[in-house]
Parts: sequence; C-alpha cells; structure tokens
Amino acid sequence: MASEESSLWAVQGISKSFPGVLALDDVSFGIQSGEVHALLGENGSGKSTLAKCLAGVYSPDRGQILHRGKPVTFHSPTASRAQGIATIYQEFSLVPTLSIAENIFLGNFKTRKGSRMIDWPAMRERTREVLARLSLNLDPEAIVNSLSVAGQQLVEIAKAFSMDSTLLIMDEPTASLGLAETKHLMDLIRRLTEQKKAVIYISHRLDEVFEIADRVTILKDGRRVTTSPLATLQMGDVVRMMIGFNVERHYPKESHVRDVPCLEIENVHSANGVHDVSFTIRTGEVFGLGGMLGSGRTEIARVIYGLDSITQGKIRLNGREVRFRSPREAIASGIGLIPENRKFDGSFFNFEGPKNITVSRLKGILRGPWLSLSTERAVGRKYIKTMNISPSAMDRTVQFLSGGNQQKVIIARWLFSNARLLIMDEPTQGVDIGAKLEVYRVINELTASGISILLISSDFPELLAMSDRVAVVRDGHVLQVTESKRLSEYELLGAASGVRREGESES
Amino acid sequence: MRRAEKYLRSTIAGPVLVFIAVVLIVAAITPGRFLAARNLSNLSLQVSIVAIVAIGGTLVILTGGIDLSPGAIVALVCVVLAELVKNMGVPLSLGIPLVLVLGLFLGLVNGLLSTYGKIPSFIVTLATMNIYRGAAFLITKALTIFSVSPHLESIFYGKFLGIPLPFYYVVVSYGVAAVFLRNTILGRSLYAVGGNQSAANLSGIPVNRTRLMAFVLAGFAASVAGVLETAWLNSGSANYGQELALGSIGAAVIGGASLTGGVGNVFATLFGALIVAIAQNALNLHAVQAAWQDITLGLVLIGAVGLDMWRGNLGSLASRVFRGFSPGDR
Repeated sequence: MASEESSLWAVQGISKSFPGVLALDDVSFGIQSGEVHALLGENGSGKSTLAKCLAGVYSPDRGQILHRGKPVTFHSPTASRAQGIATIYQEFSLVPTLSIAENIFLGNFKTRKGSRMIDWPAMRERTREVLARLSLNLDPEAIVNSLSVAGQQLVEIAKAFSMDSTLLIMDEPTASLGLAETKHLMDLIRRLTEQKKAVIYISHRLDEVFEIADRVTILKDGRRVTTSPLATLQMGDVVRMMIGFNVERHYPKESHVRDVPCLEIENVHSANGVHDVSFTIRTGEVFGLGGMLGSGRTEIARVIYGLDSITQGKIRLNGREVRFRSPREAIASGIGLIPENRKFDGSFFNFEGPKNITVSRLKGILRGPWLSLSTERAVGRKYIKTMNISPSAMDRTVQFLSGGNQQKVIIARWLFSNARLLIMDEPTQGVDIGAKLEVYRVINELTASGISILLISSDFPELLAMSDRVAVVRDGHVLQVTESKRLSEYELLGAASGVRREGESES
Repeated sequence: MRRAEKYLRSTIAGPVLVFIAVVLIVAAITPGRFLAARNLSNLSLQVSIVAIVAIGGTLVILTGGIDLSPGAIVALVCVVLAELVKNMGVPLSLGIPLVLVLGLFLGLVNGLLSTYGKIPSFIVTLATMNIYRGAAFLITKALTIFSVSPHLESIFYGKFLGIPLPFYYVVVSYGVAAVFLRNTILGRSLYAVGGNQSAANLSGIPVNRTRLMAFVLAGFAASVAGVLETAWLNSGSANYGQELALGSIGAAVIGGASLTGGVGNVFATLFGALIVAIAQNALNLHAVQAAWQDITLGLVLIGAVGLDMWRGNLGSLASRVFRGFSPGDR
C-alpha cells in the first residue's frame, strides 16, 4: 500500500509468533500525523502485541516499522521512546510515592549545568508548562498517590506529551474512568491531535471509538480485517468484523425474576459514604447499580458484604434481619462477591483451580475432621466441566489462565459455597467478547436457578441489557430504580452524571 | 512419565537435588568420616532441633510473615525449665508442660502484636527476639545452669529400637505438620492468607486469626526445640539458640518457601534443615573455626535463595546447552 510510505508512522508486513501461536500475521497500516487511529479486536486478536512491537517491548519476526517512510528498529522500550513513541499502559508506569514533576522527569531528571544536582525549579516550571499546554489543572508537586485514578492517567499522558512524542499509544485508557473523566480525556486527545500528534487508541468501548477516532484498523486472529475511515462504518459492522457473528447475540438476556424478596435494604447509611439507600432485590433478579466511578455503588456493595458497618437502617436477607460484621458472616448467610480486581482481591495465584473453588467453603470437602483432596478434585472437575473452564485449571495455578477463565473459577467458588445472592463488581472488565458472552450465559443460568445478582458495571449498555432493574447511584444516594427496559443508555448516563433531562437533545 | 514430570516440577524436587549434591560433596571432601555411623548419628541429633524450629518458621513464612524470635524462645524456655527444675524443685513432668505453654504464650504475643497490633512481623519479632533473650539473661543473671536433672538426658540421648529418640521426634512432628497443612482447614487457610490476603478476607477466611495461629504454633515448635536443647546439654543458658533464627528461616527458604507467602512445603523444609546441618557438620569435621562457620552459613543461605531466584535463567541456559545433545528428546 502506498499510503504506508507517506504516513508519519507505519507498520509493514509485521508478523510475530510465540510458542504455539501466530500472534500477528502480515499486518500493515499507516498512521497520519494529527490522526486518532483506533485499533480494535477481541482479546487475543493481536492488538496488544502490535502495540508492544511499536513500543519496542517485542521485536517482530518479520516486517518493519516505518517512520516517515524510513525503516526503524527498536531493541528496547527506551529506543522506541527516544524515536518518539510513547505508550500509556493499562497498568500505570508511574511511581505512586513521587510527585507529578518527579514522575514526568523520571529517568530524565533535569540537572544544573555542569553538576549532577537536580534542578528542582526548572523541573517544576517545565512541568507547569506541560500541564498548562494540556489544560490540566494539577499541582506539579502533588504526590501521584493522592490523585484519583483518572488524575494519574492524565499525568501519564502529560508524561508522554512532555517527551515530545509524535505517536501516543493508549491501551484501554478509559477502563477505569467515569463519564466526566472520559470526556476530559477525549478533550485531551483532541488537543494532542491539534498539535499534530498521532494517537493509536485501543479500547473495548466502541461508543468512545466512534466519538474520537478518525480511522480504525480491525484485527482478528492476528490478521488485519480492514483499515477504514470510521465515517464509512456503522457500529454493528465493526462488531461483526471483530467477533465474526451477529450483534443481536451480544446480550443474551433471560429474565427469571420471581416475586419473592431476597435482599431488602431499608434507609441504610454507612460509615463510608452510603446515604439513606433503599431497594429490594427479588429472587432470581439481576439488579443493576448504575453510576460513575466514586458514585457510591461499590460502597453499597461493601455494606451488604459486611466490609463497611451500617450506621442506620436495616438489611433483610430472605426476610430475616441481618447485620454482617465481616465477609465471613455474609458468606455464611449465602452472599458471594466477585470483586472488581481479580488479581488483587479474587484469585489465589498460588492455588490450582480446585483449591480456588473450594476456598470459601472448605467445610464442604471435610471427611470427618480432614480435608479430602480427592473430594476437592472431584468438585474441581465438576465445575471445570459445567462452567466450561479450561481443563488445564485442574493442575496448574490459576495465574496461567486467561482473565475469562479466572473469572469463571471465581464464579464457581460461589456456586460451590451455595451463594443465593451474588454481588458482581465489573464482572466483564478486561475479558474478551467471547468470555463476556460466557459470563452473560452464566448470569442467566444462575438466575434461572433462583440466585439473585447485584450487578455493578461501568459498561452501561451491558448493565442495561443484563439487569432486570437498574438503580441510578450518585453521591452515595439511590436516585431512582427503573425497569431497565424503560431506561435508555442516554437517560442512565444523564441521571448518573447529574445532567437534567430537559433541554437536552438525543445524541 | 507424567508423574515423574509432576514430581520434578513440584517444590520439593529442588531441595532434594541440592541435598543429594551437598551429601556427595561433603562425603567426597571428608572421606570416611562423614559417612561413619557415629557421625551420621551425631548429625541426626544436631539436625533435630533446627528441623523442629523450622516447622514454625515455615508456618509463619507461609502466611507471608517472618519470625526472627525462635532462637530467643528456645533460650528462654531452656533457662525457665532449668530454673524450675534445678532451683525450684519442680518435677520434670510438670516443668516440661509448663514451658510448652510458655512457648505458646510467647508465640501468642508475637502474633497479637503483628496481626491485631498491625506492626509488621519483622519488627515485632526483631523486638521480641531481644526481649525474650533479655528476659533469659535476667533469670539466670547471665550464668549457665548446669546439671539440670539426671532424667533429662534420656529425652535426647535415649534410643528406641537402636535409633536415637530425636529421629522419632522429627518424624512425628513433620508427619503432624504435613497432615495439618494438607488436610486441615487452618492449614489450608495459612496458604490462602499468604497467597492473597485480600482475597482470603473476601472469601470468608478469618485472616487475623489464621496469622495469629501461625505465630502461636511457631512459638510451640520453638518451645519443643527448647526442651530438646535443655536435654541435649542438660543445662540452661541465655546464650543458647543464637543460630536458630537463621537456621529456621534458612531451612524454610532453602526448601523453596516463598517469603511473599502462600508457597512452601514442610518436607522441603526438612531437606532445607538437613542441608544447613550437613554444611555445618562438614565444617566441624574440618575443624573450621566458629567465625568461618557463621560466614559460610550466611553464604549458603544467599546462594540457595539466589539459585531459586535465578532458576528460570539457569534452566533456559541449561536447555540451550543441552539441546545439542538430545535431538530427539521432547
């Protein structure tokens, strides 16, 4: 293709294989200056590998990277950065205990002339300039730790910007951002492109991609499906090209609500930001909590699970008043939690699948006073089969499983512990579309068997499609509880972010 | 074949291989003497104390903590037992249970401070190590209490079916520890808490209670070792057990226990203890002075942990070297 030579940056015929997988197969496309170029595909389609080739983390087996038409090779991330490519990873590369200025100049501290002493005033001044050019209202001396997740991400971008990069690669930048923060990020990206920077934007969230990107390259199984201007595509086309099957199957929602209350929350206040919250989850219902990051939706889950204490109000579970002082008590009463952060709060990476499944009800594998390892393996085999978990989970520690398989192992844990109410906090974050479908299927099976689900999700289309009812949460209050069929994504977003409905036009 | 592969990948393979290597090296450099029955019998006596202490060290390390105080607990248990029996006329049959309870209590103090007290276990046990040993010096006024009781020696030097009793103590305590870790809820909980404390809490495991129990059991193991130490030397001194903190942590870590918690195997710890003891024994046979023994022990610990850390790199290096020799092997 001729366009690759005239592009600011381009990849040409890049292939990269790992033992047993061809991760990239002859991929070519160009990136123009001032362009936001979306890179889409399921997890495992090769987009992260491609990003890492550009970032100098991997070197491609075949093909080359072109900068203004000339081939360049990177043997390290440092080399790539020196050539003007900056990557903003999902997991931040900031040092949390250092200030913004220190982070921006990390590894590149400005020194006084002729000495090795750090020139603090110059670094602060330069940081202030960078932040001002991006219209970021942040104090250069603020410690990164004290910033919100969104704030840290902005610092990350400012750091990339300060290095005079010509290409910024953003891998799932909005995964942990709320609406206002996402909007801020979009503005920032526009400011970057106005300054002739190119951006590669990797995201699962198509609405954002359609809002911000100029062109899109779609990968499937390591091959390029297309590179096209987004204006020529519909969202449905993109999804079809990414996953290869019909969009209608995206949310296979089944409703299994029975008119029996499972969990009743009455005027509950907590010590940790829940104010006068009331709602009832019925048996077999998927009850969604919709809100922005920091709206109090996670805090509501914490009160129910016994992590935060109730200061006022009542919680009834199956008609009986309960007041849990620890997760242990909540679990004993039949509640389970699928935490937002699998790696830190969910999975035991030192355990194989079976041990991860039985951990919340070890009593269930006792034979007399002893744990029976053969019973445990039988339990493991059963859930690995019924939940369609990778068979290698039997004998290998779960750190080697994909995100989707790890998630299913945690769901199996709660099935084994006989949970009747499952709190799912962002259950599909960071898993690919195939595994998402699996999670949806599991939700349907759970509710069909009479388990109730409290679903928290930042993915509003998912939340609306999979919930029977949705409560809109803001500032620790529940604003409204609505049948999700009667709520549009637009209305949910508006209510959650505090926008008045009157005078707004549908977008 | 698959079973062999599984065995090789398991945590115990490394320590066993190192153990065999150490035995071969030591046997080679001390011809005749190391493998002499008398020396082997001696060795099994020497290893028994550090091996029993190391069970406690392993339990604490499994939860992601560390216990620096077992040597001091051994010292305090020794002098209390000696004082009770020799100077206060308490019978052994009462004195021994009393000091075992003392061990539980000292472990409980470590545990309470580091769990509910929220002080890192490294600092807590660094402090209690000094406090417990200081208390031992106070009790004895820095003197050694000799000839504690004529009945004491048979506990250590006695034989059953021709084999010294400490051999049975080690076998029984490791058997109990292995079943405890493998087949009890508390044992499994130790691994869960060490593997992922937050996930353990969210899965309903009583995290603080579990960590507390690890310290209590470690205190108990140290007090058992303290009784053996008193019986071995038939005396009590505040200077006893100085090398046990390093020996216990060293045995666990050489046995492949991860200091971040959640990974470890008590049998591997036993081989770790044997490696430490054999290395010391070899130095003794060569009449190396104590100062050099300390230095060597420190180097062995660094080398063993280093080998574990670099295992991945060494493995890939080895496979590159050996690939040429076994073309059809896969």
